[in-house]
Amino acid sequence: MATEQENLEQLVNRRYEHGFVTDIATESLPPGLDEGVIRAISARKNEPEFMLEWRLRAYRQWLDMKEPEWAHVHYPPIDFQDISYFAAPKSDEDRPKSLDEVDPKLLETYDKLGIPLHERARLAGVAVDAVFDSVSVATTFKEKLSEAGVIFCSFSEAVREHPELVRKYLGSVVPQRDNFYAALNSAVFSDGSFVYVPKGVRCPMELSTYFRINAANTGQFERTLIVADEGSYVSYLEGCTAPMRDENQLHAAVVELVALGDAEIKYSTVQNWYPGDEEGKGGIYNFVTKRGDCRGANSKISWTQVETGSAITWKYPSCILRGDNSVGEFYSVAVTNNYQQADTGTKMIHIGKNTSSTIVSKGISAGRAQQAYRGLVRVMPQAQGARNHTQCDSLLIGKECGAHTFPYMEIKNPGAKVEHEATTSKISANQLFYCRQRGISEEDAVNLIVNGFCKEVFKELPMEFAVEAQALLSVSLEGAVG
Amino acid sequence: MLQIKDIHATIGGSEILRGLSLDVAAGEVHAIMGPNGSGKSTLAQVVAGHSDYEVTAGSVTYRDIDLLDLEPEERAREGIFLGFQYPVEIPGVNNAVLLRSALNAKRKHQGLDEIDAFEFLKLAKEKMAMLGMDPKFLNRGVNEGFSGGEKKRNEILQMAMLEPSLAILDETDSGLDIDALRAVAEGVNALRSPDRAIVLVTHYQRLLDYVEPDHVHVLSEGRIVRSGDKTLALELEDKGYDWVREAANG
Amino acid sequence: MKSPALEFDALAAAVSALPDSGLTAARQSALEELRRDGMPGVREEDWKYTDISALVDITNNWLAGGSTAASTAAEPAAGLEAHWITIANGRVDENSIEPLPEGVTVTRLANIRSDLAQLGRLGAFNTALLHDGLHISVASDAVLDKPIGLLLSDYAGGGACVSQVRVNIELAPGSRASFIEHQVSSGVGDLYANVAVNLAIGDNAGADYVRIQDRAPQHNQTGYHGIELGRDARLRQASFDLGGRLIRDDLVVNIAAPGAEAEFGGLYLVGDGQHVDNHTRVDHRVGPAVSRQEYRGILAGRARGVWNGKAIVHEGADGTDAEQSNHNLLLSQSAEINAKPELEIYADDVKCSHGTTVGQLDEMALYYLRTRGLDKSDARQMLTRAFALAIVGRSPIEQIEQLLLDAIDARLKGLLRETGA
Repeated sequence: MATEQENLEQLVNRRYEHGFVTDIATESLPPGLDEGVIRAISARKNEPEFMLEWRLRAYRQWLDMKEPEWAHVHYPPIDFQDISYFAAPKSDEDRPKSLDEVDPKLLETYDKLGIPLHERARLAGVAVDAVFDSVSVATTFKEKLSEAGVIFCSFSEAVREHPELVRKYLGSVVPQRDNFYAALNSAVFSDGSFVYVPKGVRCPMELSTYFRINAANTGQFERTLIVADEGSYVSYLEGCTAPMRDENQLHAAVVELVALGDAEIKYSTVQNWYPGDEEGKGGIYNFVTKRGDCRGANSKISWTQVETGSAITWKYPSCILRGDNSVGEFYSVAVTNNYQQADTGTKMIHIGKNTSSTIVSKGISAGRAQQAYRGLVRVMPQAQGARNHTQCDSLLIGKECGAHTFPYMEIKNPGAKVEHEATTSKISANQLFYCRQRGISEEDAVNLIVNGFCKEVFKELPMEFAVEAQALLSVSLEGAVG
Repeated sequence: MLQIKDIHATIGGSEILRGLSLDVAAGEVHAIMGPNGSGKSTLAQVVAGHSDYEVTAGSVTYRDIDLLDLEPEERAREGIFLGFQYPVEIPGVNNAVLLRSALNAKRKHQGLDEIDAFEFLKLAKEKMAMLGMDPKFLNRGVNEGFSGGEKKRNEILQMAMLEPSLAILDETDSGLDIDALRAVAEGVNALRSPDRAIVLVTHYQRLLDYVEPDHVHVLSEGRIVRSGDKTLALELEDKGYDWVREAANG
Repeated sequence: MKSPALEFDALAAAVSALPDSGLTAARQSALEELRRDGMPGVREEDWKYTDISALVDITNNWLAGGSTAASTAAEPAAGLEAHWITIANGRVDENSIEPLPEGVTVTRLANIRSDLAQLGRLGAFNTALLHDGLHISVASDAVLDKPIGLLLSDYAGGGACVSQVRVNIELAPGSRASFIEHQVSSGVGDLYANVAVNLAIGDNAGADYVRIQDRAPQHNQTGYHGIELGRDARLRQASFDLGGRLIRDDLVVNIAAPGAEAEFGGLYLVGDGQHVDNHTRVDHRVGPAVSRQEYRGILAGRARGVWNGKAIVHEGADGTDAEQSNHNLLLSQSAEINAKPELEIYADDVKCSHGTTVGQLDEMALYYLRTRGLDKSDARQMLTRAFALAIVGRSPIEQIEQLLLDAIDARLKGLLRETGA
């Protein structure tokens, strides 16, 4: 088995493919946070007064709040005064009108990352709103969307062009003081995406955004707001990858989804930020608040995530099932290797009658990684006929990793049916031997088994994402078997 | 004994029975045959009173009682027995407790005294011997961990104990090996009497080799499309259900 | 909301007023610990759903009233063949100890200068106010033919009453013994009983343990059961919570040697105004070892139930096989259950699973029974009882089965009446 061990180590030691630094001068605010910085951010973005007020209110609340400590993750304290809260590519003032005008170096970066923007945009029929650091630099297919009446633009643009919608929905799902990082985001958010799908409209294409983090010491604080008006449908894809850095980078995004009556939002994520090196050095701190509000009857919100990156992940995409008969779904694959730590899961809050939720969580832990599933299913007294099914499985690869499950069930209605199942197992020597006896390499066998383990989640992903997700998984786990 | 008139029934909004009529007189054995999805089990459940099935039109009369007004347990006490296609497992409730409670519920309804423990045990053992069942089954949870054949025998045991006037056996023959099939058939035959009616719901002719029916009906798309004597079953076996569908459509 | 603090001056006075004995030093250091850490509050994750501030109030009232203990003469449940030792209102009944079965020695903690192990978050509270306790040893290879019964009985005549019980049990290698802990109380006053039991099962030894909590409906109890398993040791445990107002029990199982097997579980029948919280934790420190736990609850009226099961598989505990399950039936609109099955796993060659359900009786089973002529309420009762009996089936001590069945039937009748079923 010595050779296998070596192979494995080689695989494990393969460097992060997407780790390189693009040499673009960035225009940043100096590190530190006070009201002046917030005013500067707001001014830089030409925001209306209400937005500045909103940010300042969030900031004042944040000052009184404490960092959460309950998560099963460990990291050195973050100095929030040592972070720069705004960075933009230099071309900000003269924004490109089309892809041709985009800084060729930036496009090259995307190419290296395997994100062929042109192809993807044109061939796959996907509109891409690429966020490079904090500012939106390219948006395609806008016309086609506007024909359907769909608004898909950067958050900054939405604040300027559609202030009434932003005012109405911003913070209505994740209030400013929801938690420490959400409050911070509310104060300093840089940019992000905004989507509004009008009544009865089925969005004609999958909407997609690629997030990147680049400039050193730059906090990244995206804000995404998606509103699906009555009877509408939208599928939104978020994908991430980041270049290698030695310093840890903080990322605290907020995503708010609002589904009105009979509307459906499908939100898919493939997250592949830099996880740190094999010594556990560097990597992104990913502290995200994602929440969907099924505000109207018969609405549906579905979260699907494939999380392979980040040094630390702290993320619980949740659904508030307010409307009668509304449906919430959470499908997750999380892979942690080396020294990665993840504390992730979901919350399903049943308020409306006959609401139902499904949770499928697949955690894979390898190396010295620690992973926790943390979930809450709460059935309020008025949620007659609520249903939940949770399946929560962990796969362990290696002796030094950990997999943990912390599900909370708070049930206050006798008509509710709630089922939770969890299993933890490892890839068995027998399974591997069986595959190898049939001529399959150990590495392929691991991929095969892991992909089988995650199948239920992958089938929820849009096709073009599913392929990428499987590839990511094998990269993340290469050499993990020992 | 049982008159079903032009009945329509739906489950979850989709219509399964679409104008089915059937008359069953005391002393008769009827076989209801038909392809999967033709409505055989729905018919059985509607007569027993399963609340998932909604009767949207038509009537079901049993001994001059409007059956559709009654709760499942009231129907049972009036003498209707349903042998389930998939008998339910009830862990923790032992067979003897169920049998005795069921028997006493019926006796109470008939104005009789409860059966005493000794008499009950004697009766149960007698019936079990007839069906080739191990008396140990009495102390196990209802159908808990039973094999397919054991579950079906258990249904017949309950029937033998409760001595119904109208027994509807839903695919009681499915999944049985030949010995179990014989035992079940013997149980059914032992129950045949001039004041009792039996309705066998089945997919295959096999059971009918052992329990000879007076009437055979073929169900397709929620209606009886053909009725006849036992030769119909043989003809069906020979020509297959496509023949019935064609005949129904043509 | 801050939980009310203990009145420390009064508490210190009450501690000093206890008769000087081998426990004096331990009491004083526990008092300091308590002063430092305070009583557990709802801000602590493990106490999130159970607020004991009412119990702190009872304690303060009791302290203000002179911290007296009533003397009671309790009788063990009739017809239960066991060697009963009585602890009434926290006072060991000396007369009930002798004659002891062969192979068993019982020592009063007050008679030995002992450092007491800290048992749980309320352990310091227990030690500080401990009048006396018991140390029970079972000799190597001794096999007891009768269970040892611990009758924990309290009487609260009027006003407030607080009692502390402490029992250490040690099974030497190769021995076999079974224990019944029967917790009862009477009287119209406020009662807060705090029980701490430590059970060490030696190599190759086996312990069967049944806890029956049948306190009066206005009385409260917190309990902690710490259990340690040696090599190839075996635990079979079951608990039954039938009475009480606010009940909290922590069962902490420590598997420190390979080959151990721990089976435990419980049934909680919770009615209007009751709050029953079972917390379990099993530490698999080495493997191979097996743990199995199953808890079931039936809740009616404005009942509140909490179940928190935690299995921790420590680094290197390969060959661990841990299973947890928890099933709950809510019978009324205002009943509530908070369930939290946790797994923390730091080893890879393990098999762990848990399953939790909250729901109603199986509709298909109800229908099936009704097609056999049973009316709705009888069918319901039959299925509810069957749901509860699954735990009686896990009880390792056969002699008490009838007692359990009778107690459970009586309690279930009450619960079903509350829901009008």
